[in-house]
Amino acid sequence: MNFLTLFVRNLRHGPYTDPFPFAPPAPAPKRLRGRIAFDAAICEGCLLCEKVCPSGAIRFSRTRDGLAFDCWHDTCVFCGSCEFYCPTRAVYTTNEWRLAHVEAEKFTVAEHGLIPNIVCLDCGGKGLDTAPNVSKVRPPLSADELAQLRGRCPKCRNKFLRARGKPS
Amino acid sequence: MSNLLPLLIAALLFPGGLFALAFGLALKGADRRVAARLQGRVGPPLAQPLFDLIKLGFKRMMAPDAACETVFFAAPLTGAAAMLLAILLVPISGVYAPATLTGDLIVLIYLLAIPGVALMLAGSSSSSPYGAIGFSREMSMMIAYEGPIVLIAIAVGLRVGMASGSSPTFSLVDIVAYQKSHGALLFDPVMWPAVVAFAFFYPANLGIVPFDIPEAETEVLEGPLLEYSGPALALFKVMSAIKAVVVLGLGVALFMPLPFTGLIALVGWIVQMLALMLIGVTALRVGTGRMRIDQAFVFFLKWPLALAALSVVAAAYLTVGVAP
Amino acid sequence: MTVLDRLKDLAARSPWIYRINSGSCNGCDVECATTALIPRYDVERLGCQYCGSPRHADIVLITGPLTIHVLGPAQRVFAEIPDPKVTVAIGVCPISGGIFRESYSICAPIDKYFPVDVNVPGCPPRPQAILEGVAKAIAIWRERL
Repeated sequence: MNFLTLFVRNLRHGPYTDPFPFAPPAPAPKRLRGRIAFDAAICEGCLLCEKVCPSGAIRFSRTRDGLAFDCWHDTCVFCGSCEFYCPTRAVYTTNEWRLAHVEAEKFTVAEHGLIPNIVCLDCGGKGLDTAPNVSKVRPPLSADELAQLRGRCPKCRNKFLRARGKPS
Repeated sequence: MSNLLPLLIAALLFPGGLFALAFGLALKGADRRVAARLQGRVGPPLAQPLFDLIKLGFKRMMAPDAACETVFFAAPLTGAAAMLLAILLVPISGVYAPATLTGDLIVLIYLLAIPGVALMLAGSSSSSPYGAIGFSREMSMMIAYEGPIVLIAIAVGLRVGMASGSSPTFSLVDIVAYQKSHGALLFDPVMWPAVVAFAFFYPANLGIVPFDIPEAETEVLEGPLLEYSGPALALFKVMSAIKAVVVLGLGVALFMPLPFTGLIALVGWIVQMLALMLIGVTALRVGTGRMRIDQAFVFFLKWPLALAALSVVAAAYLTVGVAP
Repeated sequence: MTVLDRLKDLAARSPWIYRINSGSCNGCDVECATTALIPRYDVERLGCQYCGSPRHADIVLITGPLTIHVLGPAQRVFAEIPDPKVTVAIGVCPISGGIFRESYSICAPIDKYFPVDVNVPGCPPRPQAILEGVAKAIAIWRERL
């Protein structure tokens, strides 16, 4: 295009500039891969996200209170693999991109979560409050059965499902 | 003693010194803002070059170990001083006429060459290979564009001198006075090649794309100015701001001085300078890309030189063959 | 406010930026370039301009995970930048190594070698995020003037 017509078009239209940082920015696209968020209530504890994270940003660690989830955003490359491989979308990308921070806050830019320990309803042993992986079970579990399943340790969960009827 | 005070006022306040610096910075600010708008961006505030200058005053001044410090720090001082002197020689028609002792076109062209030499000295004394490349490129550009400006000066001097006397005149005051009575040289067909040659000369002199080869940022890391920081760099910015006023003022005085006096003449002069800046510098630099040094060198030795020579020949032939 | 404070306020409106690419994949460098060239994310509004020489710079943007080969030259270029200056680490590579974290050839995190002031995570960060980081850096630089 002739640059003179470009000049006239630009002068008539005015600047195309987004007014950030002097005003709130334009809304981010919905599917923008931004900050990672973690929902401990629906996490299954499969640790797939830790396996597929290419930069080792997601770490699970067994603590006294349960299974701790840590994602350090200063080494996350925002690839979305964790969201892709997570079976329940417990870890997912939001579209928040405003992560700039001063050096003093470097290690506080992280997402933490905790899957707490439980005491098994059956055997009284130690277990984790992970969401059970029962999407393929037929007939589907009712909410009460789900709560019963959730309160048990892994061995007792197997016993519960076998006692229920058709194997899952 | 009686003509020392007006000279001091002219040198320090108007049209030299403060006024030239303020106007030069305003021209550069307008150039950056309008260039941004032409590109569809918002652009910096108009006073941005002033902020740049103030900031450079706060930075630490450093020189490389192997640099020749005398020349390294003398170069910006010489350039800025030459430009502060040159602004005294540029007439503003109807407002300021330089004293006949100092108003001479040849002296002005000589003074206009000094900033280029200051850049060359800066590049060569900085002991950096990028500075050396900038030095050689600046030298090539100066050789390229000094020819046309000298021929333009001869053409104008011939035209004005032969028409009003019998010998070429190089006094800027006489050139402006001639145009007041006979109409601006911009409308004189004999001078049109010289006008076109001047339109090529002044972007090259001011270091504007497509001719900003010595100070090419992405190629030679700013060439001659590579090792400068702090107040020394600020002096170079002052030099280039006042040079803009000098060169554009020269163009206005040579080809299109307004026939008014007083405040209207000053306002008209400011409008003319802005127009020259925005059309010849801003629109040109936004719309084109940088040339290579060999392309620019060959171009200047072909077209502007030929056009200016054409004007010289036409001015000489027409004034010799025609009764005054 | 004294005259000096007022002058410093004016001076803080002209921060010049210099980029050091210490082994980056150029993703972050492209985003830095878009902040200057693309009309949507104009960085010249803040008074910034990308300068070609380290001696002219006030704000240093460092991209890349600081490979072993580039460690020496990067330190030398960093020393050439006159004080006062502010260092911004762009992208996750300089902050922690990013995706190259346990590689044998990188020296990230760079705050072992350079005094970093602002971090802008992202791979690459959005140009608006870089603008936000630069705005934070300008505020820090104003303190140091």
